[in-house]
Amino acid sequence: MELFEAINNRRSIRKYRSDPVDDKKIETILEAGRWAPSWANTQCWRFIVIRDPEIRAGLADTLFTIKTPDKEIPNPGAGAFSTAPVIIVVCAEIGKSGAKHGSGDGSTEYLTDKGDWFMFDTALAVQNMVLAAHALGLGTVIIGAFDAVQAAKVLGVPDGYRVVILFPLGVPDQEGKAPPRKELSEITVRDRWSK
Amino acid sequence: MDILEAIKNRRSIRHYKADPVDDEAVNTVLEAAHWAPSWGNAQCWRFIVVHDPEIKGKVADTLMKVKVDNEWVENAAASALKQAPVLIVLCAEQGKAGFRPDGTPVTDKGDYWFMFDVALAMENLVLAAHSLGLGTVIVGGFDAKKVAQILEVPASSNVVTMTPLGFPDHKGQISPRKDLSEVVYKDKYGK
Repeated sequence: MELFEAINNRRSIRKYRSDPVDDKKIETILEAGRWAPSWANTQCWRFIVIRDPEIRAGLADTLFTIKTPDKEIPNPGAGAFSTAPVIIVVCAEIGKSGAKHGSGDGSTEYLTDKGDWFMFDTALAVQNMVLAAHALGLGTVIIGAFDAVQAAKVLGVPDGYRVVILFPLGVPDQEGKAPPRKELSEITVRDRWSK
Repeated sequence: MDILEAIKNRRSIRHYKADPVDDEAVNTVLEAAHWAPSWGNAQCWRFIVVHDPEIKGKVADTLMKVKVDNEWVENAAASALKQAPVLIVLCAEQGKAGFRPDGTPVTDKGDYWFMFDVALAMENLVLAAHSLGLGTVIVGGFDAKKVAQILEVPASSNVVTMTPLGFPDHKGQISPRKDLSEVVYKDKYGK
């Protein structure tokens, strides 16, 4: 699929068919993630590919509900955990991205005021993966609102790593909606902010 | 350009020609960036497109040195920022990504979801640039507070990352990637 077509037409998918997804497609998607750039090529990302229905259910239980002033609703992506055949969890090794080189004393020192850049680098990989999935006719929705500490327990993620996001992967059972974007003029300035 | 081809062949470019980049190309990469998904569609990203050579120079001077073979040397991206005709700086409005409407953070990542969302947009931007024949290199190692002063970014937004945008003057180097088997597990971590 042409790049701009993928970027412009990829939508978040929250309803899936249970049709299986073959390993070849999953590998293409993971390859796309692996080729993302990263801080000093540190590649802090780790991917867990989950097909096991019990583990998928365990992860569904970690999703946060959405609280509004008058009601509490399940995460709109929750239903996907029982229908989409695959969940991909993205973890990050802590202390790599954004770290000063050669501190070597066990306690990581970071170069910038952002501290650890693991959120940034994993997102570069995730965007590649969701675009690649779309190009293969598969849907995704990036989910961050879950109990990552509990998810780490469910998945046996060791200390030194954090669970960042997860996304279901499967054949879409809906046409995704395009949430409106701000006009470029609202979010872009030239040379200086105040201009 | 095919999406998978763009993903695999895009390289970080640290040497640029001085040839100008037209506004249409700049708009195309910004459009791609802002079609990225974001937390609750909050679109916390803001873009500053810098052409002014003086401002580019000042921003380039905020880049931190990097340690190579135990020696601190100038970040190769600093000269790239001066060479390339356009610099795109990505900022994030604070308190949007990862927050409930009442202003409390949703997850253990606190307010760091702006890093995630800005990176989703940045990846679209660098892929789009590559498909137009333009080079980029994502830069994070700079003094963000100084850049905020130079670009007059209000306190409500954080300067996150930047990239030069221009025509490559070299073939980017392929940084070796870990094998998939080193970074992928099945069903549980470590398996």
